[in-house]
Amino acid sequence: MTESSANKPGNGQVCHRVKNGVKPGRNGFIKNHHHYHHQQPMYCYPEDKVQHTACNGSSGLGLYSRPFIESFEETPMLVAVLTYMGYGILTIFGYLRDFLRDWKIERCHIAREREEQRDFVPLYQDFENFYTRNLYMRIRDSWNRPICSVPGAKVDLVERVSPDYNWTFDYTGKVVEGVINMGSYNYLGFAENTGYCADASAEVTMKYGVGVASTRQEMGNLDRHEEMEELVAKFLGVESAMAFGMGFATNSMNIPALAGKGCLILSDELNHASLVLGARLSGSTIRVFKHNNMQSLEKMLRDAIVHGQPRTHRPWKKILILVEGIYSMEGSIVRLPEVIALKKRYRAYLYLDEAHSIGALGPGGRGVVDYFGLDPRDVDVMMGTFTKSFGAAGGYIGGRKELMEYLRSHSHSAVYAASMSPPVVEQIIASMKCIMGEDGTTLGRDRVQQLAENTLYFRRRLTEMGFIIYGNNDSPVVPMMLYMPAKIGAFGREMLKRNIGVVVVGFPATPIIESRARFCISAAHTKDMLDTALSVISEVGDLLQVKYSRHKRLPSLD
Amino acid sequence: MNVGVAHSEVNPNTRVMNSRGIWLTYALGVGMLHIVLLSIPFFSVPVVWTLTNVIHNFGMYVFMHAVKGTPFETPDQGKARLLTHWEQLDYGVQFTSSRKFFTISPIILYVASRHLEQEIFSCKFLHEVRHNTLCHKHCFPFECADPQIATTTRSPHLWHQQVLS
Repeated sequence: MTESSANKPGNGQVCHRVKNGVKPGRNGFIKNHHHYHHQQPMYCYPEDKVQHTACNGSSGLGLYSRPFIESFEETPMLVAVLTYMGYGILTIFGYLRDFLRDWKIERCHIAREREEQRDFVPLYQDFENFYTRNLYMRIRDSWNRPICSVPGAKVDLVERVSPDYNWTFDYTGKVVEGVINMGSYNYLGFAENTGYCADASAEVTMKYGVGVASTRQEMGNLDRHEEMEELVAKFLGVESAMAFGMGFATNSMNIPALAGKGCLILSDELNHASLVLGARLSGSTIRVFKHNNMQSLEKMLRDAIVHGQPRTHRPWKKILILVEGIYSMEGSIVRLPEVIALKKRYRAYLYLDEAHSIGALGPGGRGVVDYFGLDPRDVDVMMGTFTKSFGAAGGYIGGRKELMEYLRSHSHSAVYAASMSPPVVEQIIASMKCIMGEDGTTLGRDRVQQLAENTLYFRRRLTEMGFIIYGNNDSPVVPMMLYMPAKIGAFGREMLKRNIGVVVVGFPATPIIESRARFCISAAHTKDMLDTALSVISEVGDLLQVKYSRHKRLPSLD
Repeated sequence: MNVGVAHSEVNPNTRVMNSRGIWLTYALGVGMLHIVLLSIPFFSVPVVWTLTNVIHNFGMYVFMHAVKGTPFETPDQGKARLLTHWEQLDYGVQFTSSRKFFTISPIILYVASRHLEQEIFSCKFLHEVRHNTLCHKHCFPFECADPQIATTTRSPHLWHQQVLS
């Protein structure tokens, strides 16, 4: 029948246990995936893990050394119906407003063609902008807010008002100071303009300048680049690594170098636009498997190997599985042990995009591979970005030496794109040394621990309050469901009134009934800030009635 | 907030009719329309049923089969611009459950309204047959008056029949 987050085919795990004693099967039942591995303590030792991932098949037991708890609570039916009615009313009003604008009863702010060009082929598709002009414009003040300070744990916003319902903005000249920043991907708190990293970057700017004005292959390869790449390789535990100036471009320019015509790409349903673009540019056949669903992936792998290419039935040249470490819209973590087991069994290659998980997961901050305690050599291509946890910009790819040598000469980004500028490189070097502990302090380790504690605390308190939170218990990305289109705008505005900045997102960036507010926890958030934020979120949640969760969690003594 | 930012679904319109609760919302919407029309005092019940049918069919025709494209820009380079919503459903895969549901629902609506007319038809028809057989038993068949075919023209008696039957 109709799909929902709970009806999607189960992820095939053998042990389904509902941890908190809630009866499944009611309207708001949770899809709770809970894996424990009690018996063999040797699974927890790092040196044994390779053996175990190889000898276990695709079953869930035995691959996870820690509990994997994810929940995606189903939308309550009443809320779904009201959401559709909300969109329906907005559509009807949109048509009415378009009619009024057409007949010049209402003033038209949209870009229109000139009178002299009426007979030409139209430049703008009217209907394609329906959503933008009728729905997005109404709540546009929740996005693109200009900031005027470094976006750390607190940020300063430029105050703006709109006299004509968000078509134009006027700046009042005032600054809203000290807004608690729950929207920046500042997982380890390196977005700061003071401290060791900032000083190192300033020094390097004095020495090397700001720009490089060349590609890596020509004159743009600085010794700082080489040092940074060696450091990244050491951090990840791979043989060699290469860095690029832009995280999006890392994906979109390197996947075409790795896969081509005659190859098969199996990509997760919720992969980022950069991965999708890279896959499309490569020219390979793309098949999409259900989000984090290992049964779907296995079935596709088997079908691909058995049937081969579509008409000729020749074997595929290579099969590349594209997954992400943390999916930023759902807050879910990839089931890496199972993916690696499948990859080994069916001889496919794995491309892991750790954009959000590098630095944010794992006891040493080394990403999702560290989090599960797996061997980095099992992942063929480890990709990540420096934007989120390192406070810099750019992306990297790590892997075996031969692969990196190949990419250095064949990647579009290496050949044509300008290399990273020196202060950014220095920021990466400084922050990575800090996380690894090589600068002599325990600052990095403290930050990683602080992030883990903040995440657990924030998620626990939000679920206790009764909100529906998606994703894994350990992921620092916390999507909180709002569902109705009016609540998207209301939530963003009410939070800003109370001095908290959040990111809200709705249709069509998410499925139609799953609009959400997404919080990103940072190590720079102190417990006081989190408590303030939580009390404000609870207040706004009561005002807007977004506490939809159908099961009660007992508040623990904390 | 744009298509393709957070997921690789090229055209979200294809999944809307499969989401949770949309069939129920659709049924409730038709029900609401019916109730609103019923509350207009000078429409009789068969008229209301006819109007429900007509307005529902017109609305579904406009939104599913007349309007082309998507109300947002999609990253598929305009492939969906030439397709109506019905053609976009499930990326063109036929005989999915949504397509079956939305094919059968106008038929059910029509049968429901015909059933209502049929009831009136049979009620009056039986009344006439009873009247003829009781009162004109001795007549030749072709001399009997034809039983009046029930019409759906408005008459206040129809209301009474509704109430009594």
